[in-house]
Amino acid sequence: MQNNNPLSPHIQIYNWNISSLISISHRIVGVINIFALTLICFWIVAIFFGGTTYEIIQRILESFFGKFLVIGITWSFSFHMLSEIRHLFWDMGYGFELKISKITGTVVIIGSFILTILIYLIGRQLI
Amino acid sequence: MVQINLPENSKIQKGEYYKDKTGSKNIRKVNVYRWDPSTGEKPRIDTYEVDMNNCPSKVLDLLNKIKNEIDPSLAYRRSCSHGVCGSCAMNMDGKNGLACTKSHASIKGDINIYPLPHLKVLKDLIGDLSTLFKQYESIEPWLKNSKKDDGKENIQSRKDREKLDGYYECIMCACCSTACPSYWWNGDKYLGPAVLLQAYRWIIDSRDEERKERLKKVADELKLYRCHTIMNCTNACPKDLNPAKAIAEIKKMLATNY
Repeated sequence: MQNNNPLSPHIQIYNWNISSLISISHRIVGVINIFALTLICFWIVAIFFGGTTYEIIQRILESFFGKFLVIGITWSFSFHMLSEIRHLFWDMGYGFELKISKITGTVVIIGSFILTILIYLIGRQLI
Repeated sequence: MVQINLPENSKIQKGEYYKDKTGSKNIRKVNVYRWDPSTGEKPRIDTYEVDMNNCPSKVLDLLNKIKNEIDPSLAYRRSCSHGVCGSCAMNMDGKNGLACTKSHASIKGDINIYPLPHLKVLKDLIGDLSTLFKQYESIEPWLKNSKKDDGKENIQSRKDREKLDGYYECIMCACCSTACPSYWWNGDKYLGPAVLLQAYRWIIDSRDEERKERLKKVADELKLYRCHTIMNCTNACPKDLNPAKAIAEIKKMLATNY
């Protein structure tokens, strides 16, 4: 017999909190990173096609869109890495207390931006 | 499967509006999910204006007041009203909890009350928890011990007993499981935080002799590893327990061949 009773609302009404937000972002960013890695592979492969191809890609990367892409990817890697470290601690059984998980969650979010800025500055040899 | 949108028959309509008749100045609006199986209509949100001057402090008191004084057709589960039985678990202000322990003063703005998320609704605020209890049965939540009954106590050291703290208090209200997105999408296969916490409670009981079998039984890609540490369970638990940690401990035991 098919149950025709309605399904109670779920994601439509449930409050978000830091942990659930980071969890879903971790997944989305993970998928983005796969594409980013593929792009980086293409970039390296481009060297084999000689200087002109490499230069074209270089020009794209130096445009506004390219810079946005590079900084975006830097952030997505930073975020994924920090969030994964948080997961590693969880897998060892630490950090499950609500308060601590909230603090580590905030650290992941703020840390991902700080790490992005740091990598940018180091990459530009400004520090 | 992940289905973000509600099915067509579950889409929520605007319901009736019950205006305050007491003439009180201290009024709050309470939006309540309603569905009546006898009419064949879609679920709706009814809004009640409630006189807060004569209302005790908890959300359950608020519902009782609505049922007693405004609309007797409202259906919800409740029993002990002291946070012990777990009957009045529901979604209040976007978060699962027990209506009898949740203070309505802690909710800002209008008070929104829904049944526990992603369940088949039986009526109004009552969700169908039969799948969850079947899963609970599947982990065999009772002591397995071959010792013959010799009329004496089954002794447990103080330290072993302490391991059960934070787990034996679970009242199976289902707030955690129905807060878990993984359980929403895979509720038929994934056991969910409530049942896994119970499983862990029996795995670590020093008097139980089937730890290995219990662990083996639960070690399944779908039953256990659908937990992605979203932490909604721990956030929701009205008894301040930590299902996420219990699940992580099971995973750790399996990883270390405990």
